[in-house]
Amino acid sequence: MTASALSRPGERERVSTKIGQIDWRLTALLCVVSGTGALMLYSVAGGSWSPWAAKHLIRFGMCLALMLALSMINIRYWFALAYPIYGMALFMLALVETPLGYTALGATRWLDLGFIRLQPSEIMKIGVVLALARWYHGASAKEASFHWKLIFPVGIIGLPFLLVAHQPDLGSAMLIGMTGAAIMFVAGLSWRIILPLIVAAAVLVPPYVMFGMHDYQRHRVLTFLNPEADMSDKGYQIVQSKIAMGSGGPLGRGFGLGSQSQLEFLPERQTDFIFAAFAEEFGFVGTFTLLACYAAIILISLRIASLSHSHFGRLAASGVTATFALYVLINGAMVMGLAPVVGVPMPLLSYGGTVMLTVMIGFGLVMATRVHRYAELPKGHGLI
Amino acid sequence: MSGEPSIFFADVNERQGSFLRRTFVLGGVSALGITALIGRLGQLQVVQAQEYATLSSQNQFNFRMVPPPRGLIKDRNGVVIAGNRPSFRVLVVRDETKDLDQTLDLLGRLLPDTLERRRAIIRDVNAASKFNPVPVKSDLTWEEFAKVNQYANELPGVMVDMNEARYYPFGGSFAHVIGYVAKVSDRDVKAIRDKGEQPPALLFNPSFRIGRQGVEKALDLSLRGEPGGNRVEVDARGRVVAEDIGGSRPAVPGKEVILTLDADVQNRALEVFGDESGACVVMDVRNGDILCMMSAPSFDPNLFVGGVPTKTYRALADYERKPLLDKTLNGTFPPGSTFKPTTALALLEAGVDPNLTVFCSGSYRTGNRTQRCWGRHGTQNMHDAIKNSCDVYFYAMCNRAGVDNIRKAGLALGFEHEFDIGVGNQRKGLLPSTEWKARTFPRDPVWHPGETTSVAIGQGAITVNALQLAVMTSRLANGKKQLQPRLIKSIGGVEQPSGAEAPDLPFDPAHVEYVRQGMIAVANDRSGTAYRQSQLGLGDIQMAGKTGTAQVRNYGTGSRKSEIWALKDHNLFVAFAPVDAPRYAVAIIVEHGGKGGATAGAPRAREVMRTVLLKDPDMRARIERPLPPEPTGAAIVEDGVVGAAPEPDVVATPQAPRAAPTTTSGPRPYLSEPRR
Repeated sequence: MTASALSRPGERERVSTKIGQIDWRLTALLCVVSGTGALMLYSVAGGSWSPWAAKHLIRFGMCLALMLALSMINIRYWFALAYPIYGMALFMLALVETPLGYTALGATRWLDLGFIRLQPSEIMKIGVVLALARWYHGASAKEASFHWKLIFPVGIIGLPFLLVAHQPDLGSAMLIGMTGAAIMFVAGLSWRIILPLIVAAAVLVPPYVMFGMHDYQRHRVLTFLNPEADMSDKGYQIVQSKIAMGSGGPLGRGFGLGSQSQLEFLPERQTDFIFAAFAEEFGFVGTFTLLACYAAIILISLRIASLSHSHFGRLAASGVTATFALYVLINGAMVMGLAPVVGVPMPLLSYGGTVMLTVMIGFGLVMATRVHRYAELPKGHGLI
Repeated sequence: MSGEPSIFFADVNERQGSFLRRTFVLGGVSALGITALIGRLGQLQVVQAQEYATLSSQNQFNFRMVPPPRGLIKDRNGVVIAGNRPSFRVLVVRDETKDLDQTLDLLGRLLPDTLERRRAIIRDVNAASKFNPVPVKSDLTWEEFAKVNQYANELPGVMVDMNEARYYPFGGSFAHVIGYVAKVSDRDVKAIRDKGEQPPALLFNPSFRIGRQGVEKALDLSLRGEPGGNRVEVDARGRVVAEDIGGSRPAVPGKEVILTLDADVQNRALEVFGDESGACVVMDVRNGDILCMMSAPSFDPNLFVGGVPTKTYRALADYERKPLLDKTLNGTFPPGSTFKPTTALALLEAGVDPNLTVFCSGSYRTGNRTQRCWGRHGTQNMHDAIKNSCDVYFYAMCNRAGVDNIRKAGLALGFEHEFDIGVGNQRKGLLPSTEWKARTFPRDPVWHPGETTSVAIGQGAITVNALQLAVMTSRLANGKKQLQPRLIKSIGGVEQPSGAEAPDLPFDPAHVEYVRQGMIAVANDRSGTAYRQSQLGLGDIQMAGKTGTAQVRNYGTGSRKSEIWALKDHNLFVAFAPVDAPRYAVAIIVEHGGKGGATAGAPRAREVMRTVLLKDPDMRARIERPLPPEPTGAAIVEDGVVGAAPEPDVVATPQAPRAAPTTTSGPRPYLSEPRR
C-alpha cells in the first residue's frame, strides 16, 4: 500500500495498482507447495510426468491464473453475491439427493449435469464462508456474541452440513462444520456458548461413533484407535504410511528412492497419502520445511484478514484460511496416525482438481480481500 | 439499505477488536497444530527412524521359499522307482485379475476342465491372500502350456510356471511298498500340532506333497529335504521386482533312498498275477534283502499326486479285490499247508522220530470229529507227509509237540512278528497258543487236542502275512540265521544294517535239513505236490517249495469250486532256490485263487524265481557253463572261483560240507530226471 495508491481518487480501481497490491509472498508459497506436489507426483509415478505430475502442474497453472483474476474483483461483488452463491450451492446439494445425483463408491456426492460432473459440497465450502461473512457483516458485536439471532449462522452451517453428511461425505461435512465454527469463533462467539459446547461434544461424540455412523465410518474411527487390528485395509494404510514416514529418517531416502511409495506399499500415494511419500523421500528436513510453508501460508492469510477494513473481508479471508488450515491439519494428522482415515487430501500437494480449484478460488477471495482492503461495503443486514 | 445505520461506530470497533483477538487465537491454534505435526514427525522420523527403516525393509524384501526337490527312491540297481518330473502349472493372482469371473471364463476356453472345478477354484483363490498366486491346474500338456502363454496378455493375473511333481515311472508295480505322496491335509497339520510341534513352513507351500503310504510315508522327513530361500525385492502386490543373489540360499534336495527291491523282479511279479489278487515277496536268503514286495491288483500312485477324484478313489476302494490294500504286510491269510514245514520242525524239536509212520486213509478221527485229508496217502513218514502235504500225518502227530511248541517254532521262523523294515502299518497275524485260547475264549479256556490239528495244517485261527511266509522260507533255506528282512538299503548314502546280523535259529541244524529235504521233494520228486509246476528249466538249478491251500470256509467243504470269488480257497506257495546253495526265497499268496497251491501258486513262484535267478550273475554263469560231471560240487567251486557270494559264511553253512542233497537220506533220486 503505497502512499500514491491512497492519494489519488480512482487509483485503487486501476488494474496496475491492484496487481501491485497482490501478495507475492503468498503467491510464491502457493507455487512452492504445488511445485513440490508435482515433484512428488512425478516420483510416485515411478519417475514419470504421466499420469499425475503434468496434469497437476497444468491444473495449478490454470487455478493460479483464476486466483489472480479473482483477486482483481472488488470484494463489493463478492459481498453482493455471497447469499446467491450460497443459495445456489445449497440448491445443488439438494439436487444431489434427486435422481440427478451421481453415485460412486457407495456415496452420492456428484451432480451429473451431462457435460460436467460437479461436487456441490466443494462449492459449498466457499459458499458457507461467504454467507457467514455476509451475515456477520451486518450483525452487531452483541448479536455475534450471545443472541438468539445466532440461529441464522447456525442454520447457514447446519443445512449444508446435514446435506453433505447425508451423502455420506463425513470428511467434507466436518470441514464445512469446522470452518463455520471457526468463523463463528473469530466473529466473537461468547465463551459462554463455546465452553458448554466443547463439554457436550466430549460427552456425545463417543455414542455417536458407536450408533450414529455408517459402518465404514465407524470402522475408520475404530481402526484409527487400533490400526494393527485391521491390517487388511484401513489399518494397513495407516501402518504403511507410518512406516513410509519413519523410514525416511532425518534426511530422507532421496528423490525417487522411497521403497514404500515406489513399490506401492503406500496406499493412495498420489492423493491422501502423498505427504507420507514426501516424508519418506525428503525426511524430517523436508517435512519440516514443507509444514513451515503451510504455516506461513496460514499466518500470512490471517494477517491479510486482519488488515481488511470491512468485517465481511476479515471474516471471508479468515474463513478460507480456516478451511485451508483444517485441510492441512486433518490430512497431516491422518497420515501420521493421529486421526482416523478420512478422505481429506493435503491441499495443493495431493493430486485432485476439485480440491485445488476450491482452495485456489478461496485464495482468490483472500487475495481480493487484500487488494481491496479499503473497499467500502454497505452496512446492515441487506439481503443482497 | 435505508434509514439509520444498524451498527454504531463503537460497536464496529468492539467487533473489530474481538475479531483481532480471536484471529490471533486462531493463528495460534493453527501454528500449534502444525507444531504438533512437526513434533510427531520428529518422533517418527528422528527418534523411531531406525525401527521404521527395519519395517520398511521387511516390506521391501521377502524370502521366497524354494521348495527342495524330493529325494529319489531307487531300486538296488539304481533304477529310479520314485522320481520327479517337471510339471507346468497355471496360477491365478486375485489382485491382478480385473474380474475373477471374467478371467476364469477366458481361461475356461483354453482349459475346459477348469470350468468343471470352477467353484473349488474360486473358493481356493478367495481363501488365499490377494497377492498370492493360487494353482488352478497342474500338469498342463505342452499344448495347453503354449496356449495359455500365447493368450497371457489377455489374461491379467494368470501366470504359468514350472515346478517338480512326484512321478512313479512303474505305475502300480511299487504302489504299496513305496506308497505315494499327496497334498498336505488339515489332518496332517493337526497331527503335528497335537504333538506340540510347529509345522514347518514348507508344508504350506502349494507344491509340497507329503508321503502318504509305504516308504514315502515312513521316510518322509529324509525325503523332504531343506527348503531354500530367495531374497527378493517385492512390491506391495508381491510381484518380484529384483532378486538379491547374495541373500539367497539354495534348497537342499531330499536324501536319496535306495531300496533292496529289484524293479525287474517286482514288475515280473505284478505281471504273473494277471487278474488275480494276492501278494508276492522275494528275499535273498543270505542277507535278508527283500527283492520284491508286490501286492496285486495294484493302482497307479501317480493318480494321488495331484489329488485323486473322489469317484476314482471309490472305484479303487470299493473293488472286492482291494487294490488299495497292501496284501504283503497288511493282509493276513491262513497259511494252509505252507505251515507244515514249521509243524514238522516243531515235531522234530519235540523229539518225534521222523521215520515213524502214519497210515492215511483219507480221514482222521479225533474224539467225535472226523477230519479229512485232501487225498489217501497210505503209509507216510514225515518226509512223505511234507512231500505229499498229508494232513492225516500232522493230525496224528501234532499233539506230540503240542500247540505251544508249534507256536514256539513258528515264532522262531518269523510268524506273529512285526519286522522292522522301515515301513509301518503291518499286521502281524496270529499264532494260537493255550494262553491265547484262555485269553480269547474265557467260556472255554482249555485248549483241546482237536484244535491243535487245525493249527498243524495252517488252518483255523492261525494267520500270517506274505512277508512272514517269505521270512519263514528264507530262514529254513538259510538254515542257520534268524534272518531279518531288509527293505531300505541306504538313506542318503548311509547303508542300513544287513539282515544277516541276526542270532542263530534255535533249531538243531539236522532238523532244519530234514524239513528242507521234504520241501525239495515237493518240487523235485515226481510224486511231490508241485513237481510239474516247479521245474525252472535253468540247467541244474532246482527249486524247493511247499504248497498251501487255505479254506475260506470250513475245511473240506469243497469251497475251491465255489462260484463266488470271495468264497474260493486261498492258494499259497513258498519256494527257495537253488536247492544246493540257496540264494532266494519266494512266497506267493493268491487270494481266493480257487485252484490249489500247486496250480495257482507254484507257476507264479517259478516265473518270479526264474527272473531273480537270471538276474544273478553267478546263476547266469552256472546256467551258461557246460554241464559238469558233479553238479553240486561244481556249484561250490563256482562260488569259490567267482567269489560273488557276499556273505559266504551265511550261505547255509550246515549243508556246505554235505556232498549233495541227493546223497542224504532222501528216498528218491530226482536229479536224474531228464531235462527237455
